[in-house]
Amino acid sequence: MTLTQKTRKPIYKIGHCCQVAPTNEGRKLPTTPSQSQTSRFIAAVGAYAPLLRLERAAAAKALTFSGLGGRPSGRRAVAGWDEDALTLAVEASRALPQPEAVTFASTSAPFIERSQATLLVDALALDPSVRTGDVAGSRRCAVSALRDALLGRGDTLIAAGEKRPATAGSSQHLFDGDGGAAAFVSDRGAAQLLGHASLSHDLVDLYASPERPQSYAYEERFVRDTAIGKVIAPTIKAACAAAGVAPSEIARAAVHEPLAGCWREISRLTGVTAPNIAADLAQAVGDLGAAHALFAFAVACAGARKGDLVLLAGFGSGCDAMVFRLTGEMPGAREAAALLSKGVAFDDYMRFLSLTGAVQLDWGVRSEFEQKAQATVLERYGRDMIGFVGGRDADGNVQFPKSRIPVRPGATMPEQLEDVRLADCAARIVSVTADRLNFTPDPPFWFGLVQFDNGARVMMEFTDGDGRGFSVGDAVRPLLRIKSRDARRGFRTYFWKAAPADRPTIEG
Amino acid sequence: MATGIKDKVAVIGMGCTSFGEHWNKGPEDLMVDAFVEAIADAGIEKSQIEAAWMGNALDDINVGNSALPLAHALRLRGIPVSRVENMCATGSEALRAASYAVAAGAVDIALAVGVEKLKDTGYGGLPLRTKGLANDLWMPYGSAPGSFAQLAGAYAARHGIEKSDLKRAMAHVSWKSHQNAALNPKAHLRKPVDVETILKAPMIADPLGLFDCCGVSDGAACAIVTTPDIAKGLGIGNPVTVKAIQLCASHGWELQYGEWDGSYVANTRQAAKRAYAEAGVEAPRRDLSVTEVHDCFSITELVTMEDLNLSDEGRAPFDILDGRFDRAGAQPCQIDGGLKCFGHPVGASGLRMAYEVYTQLLGRAGDRQRGTVDLGLVHNLGGAPFNSIAAVSILGRLQ
Repeated sequence: MTLTQKTRKPIYKIGHCCQVAPTNEGRKLPTTPSQSQTSRFIAAVGAYAPLLRLERAAAAKALTFSGLGGRPSGRRAVAGWDEDALTLAVEASRALPQPEAVTFASTSAPFIERSQATLLVDALALDPSVRTGDVAGSRRCAVSALRDALLGRGDTLIAAGEKRPATAGSSQHLFDGDGGAAAFVSDRGAAQLLGHASLSHDLVDLYASPERPQSYAYEERFVRDTAIGKVIAPTIKAACAAAGVAPSEIARAAVHEPLAGCWREISRLTGVTAPNIAADLAQAVGDLGAAHALFAFAVACAGARKGDLVLLAGFGSGCDAMVFRLTGEMPGAREAAALLSKGVAFDDYMRFLSLTGAVQLDWGVRSEFEQKAQATVLERYGRDMIGFVGGRDADGNVQFPKSRIPVRPGATMPEQLEDVRLADCAARIVSVTADRLNFTPDPPFWFGLVQFDNGARVMMEFTDGDGRGFSVGDAVRPLLRIKSRDARRGFRTYFWKAAPADRPTIEG
Repeated sequence: MATGIKDKVAVIGMGCTSFGEHWNKGPEDLMVDAFVEAIADAGIEKSQIEAAWMGNALDDINVGNSALPLAHALRLRGIPVSRVENMCATGSEALRAASYAVAAGAVDIALAVGVEKLKDTGYGGLPLRTKGLANDLWMPYGSAPGSFAQLAGAYAARHGIEKSDLKRAMAHVSWKSHQNAALNPKAHLRKPVDVETILKAPMIADPLGLFDCCGVSDGAACAIVTTPDIAKGLGIGNPVTVKAIQLCASHGWELQYGEWDGSYVANTRQAAKRAYAEAGVEAPRRDLSVTEVHDCFSITELVTMEDLNLSDEGRAPFDILDGRFDRAGAQPCQIDGGLKCFGHPVGASGLRMAYEVYTQLLGRAGDRQRGTVDLGLVHNLGGAPFNSIAAVSILGRLQ
């Protein structure tokens, strides 16, 4: 017997309330976003932007001959060679509480088959019983994961990081930025979800694929008109309706624009008149992909007051929009906002090309060395390394790495050392140099001996010393960075590097 | 109770190739050249050698692993031949092994050879390689100059010395070695360089400029050792003898325990203390005629002067600038040009230093001879200040 299409049961669902069954006319597309209401909270936020900020105007100047370079205003955050989507997400998440579940979100994750969320658990030294998952697929993925966490149960960490490759001369190369953001979802907290809406829509404004890791973008006017009119505006209006608020009541918006300059039209179509912090964020650090909306939400919360309504919307292959009411000060919001003015601006376009992988410099024979990591060694020591875990001996001395017989003078036989995480400990420099002989993709190679306040001392690489360098006695703090990069085999290991304890303020 | 090896081992022959860029020589040539000189010096037959040790540090890029390269090169038939390696202290390790074998009575005559062939790799020669070991997961891949350069900042901080003053003293160290090497036909770098040039040289690892760093070279050196009685039997009435060989290796204390301030090399102090005791040297500034120390970098020589108790703590820069360690100074250091200018074929350097002291003790140093030399010290340092192997040897005459 052959079932007719009309008598078949619905075979799948889209969103919360839109059930779609095939018809004789073909697949029926949803014309309105799904909607629902919950009572879950964002309890804390985190954000991280790399130290370096490229002056877009300088890049445009370097590209003057070509007419390329796009809009020359603002800056974009540029990750160091030793940063990637994972390290950026970890840095954004460090101040957040212990969750029951972790979701890592990125479109530029360093590994396809190796869970970044699991690495993040180790990097944050979280309990290994934490549930983990990785999401990708579009730059909306972090907001989608946040929505699902808000619709779900338990304390959940959404950690997003992005360091997207782009081709030199493309508008994405300057429009995009590198960064991380995180949100902690719980049953109580500072931002209550009032309503949300989602719309799935395969709008190919840009794409990336294994065959083409750098995003390929389509005609901007087409993207702007379609994204605003058919995707973003209807979803925002639906979210406001679901939340039972008038768009004009929204005090702050964190709406991920597909292109710069879309907010005015979105505002006109939706009636949301609040400033869009996501647009400001794109000017300050660039479009952060999966991390953008979360970062913008954190900054939006910093400028909001108790009772304010904050709109969060993620874009990419559709849209997720959520309306929150602030019930108090959002932990981590002020720190996120402060990051925007902390860093080092630079205008060296060639360095930018090198750092972003847009050009491959020939570093000579000193760069030709083997960096293969061994899985067995990682299994034995890897968690202590990425978690920066040392050990405390029977006399209370802390050392790194751990050893069977402690380094303490007088220790003669093996002891069981107690785990001590050094990642969050204060430290100072004992000795240091800027090594210009040793290969590094961003010379010089700073390294030296670091003394932690708890007694441990570690020979470490230094990072983020731009413009200031390092001296004996300087206060430093550990940041998670790439330790080794095995380009031939596509593998990398992570360890902590010492950065100045504070950051300079960007001038101008 | 152990009595040490003072005067239990005589050095009856030594050889040393010139150090440099030996594009036309392989490790076999270098070992043979050093050996031919040594055995002619000793006046023995090769068949009288009963055991041999080969010191080679970087087997993976040059000579090859095991002791077989030495056994093959010299055609050492039917005797035990071993390879030793302790980074830059390898040459001293080879001499220590051969000396201990003689002192123990295990053999009558032993051979120690140090060799390195670095210049086939196309650049400075010191490889940076990882093997995926546990340390590779966290240890910085710093260069040798980077590791030693850190002594400078820590030293300046500890003693309250302006970095510019320290840099001047360091420049004097290098200036001195260039001056000395100009008189040494076997040295790698024989061109004198003025202090201003040294100070203005490109930076390698802050504050070490190009001229603060030793050259890495191809080369070999060797020693033939026996008992004093056998030496006398060979007609050497007052042979050069080993007064002490002491070695001290880091156990992780500098890197992992919060006491060391990074301004000195603890193992040098420990090895020197034991070597002075073994040799019966009570006042090194009075008793030592010459010293050859591990001046891989100018700052290393500077702090080594204090670690060997040849300067008071915090005074080495002043003593250096006063010329105390110049060739004509009160206590000359690196008369042969040192690692800085004689060159640094890693596994050979310890034996090269011993070769110069041996040559000075026998009054054979020609233009650079330091009058009558009674006692000389060799300081050979492997690794880095924070993770080192220090070897201190003292050579003198039997009577």
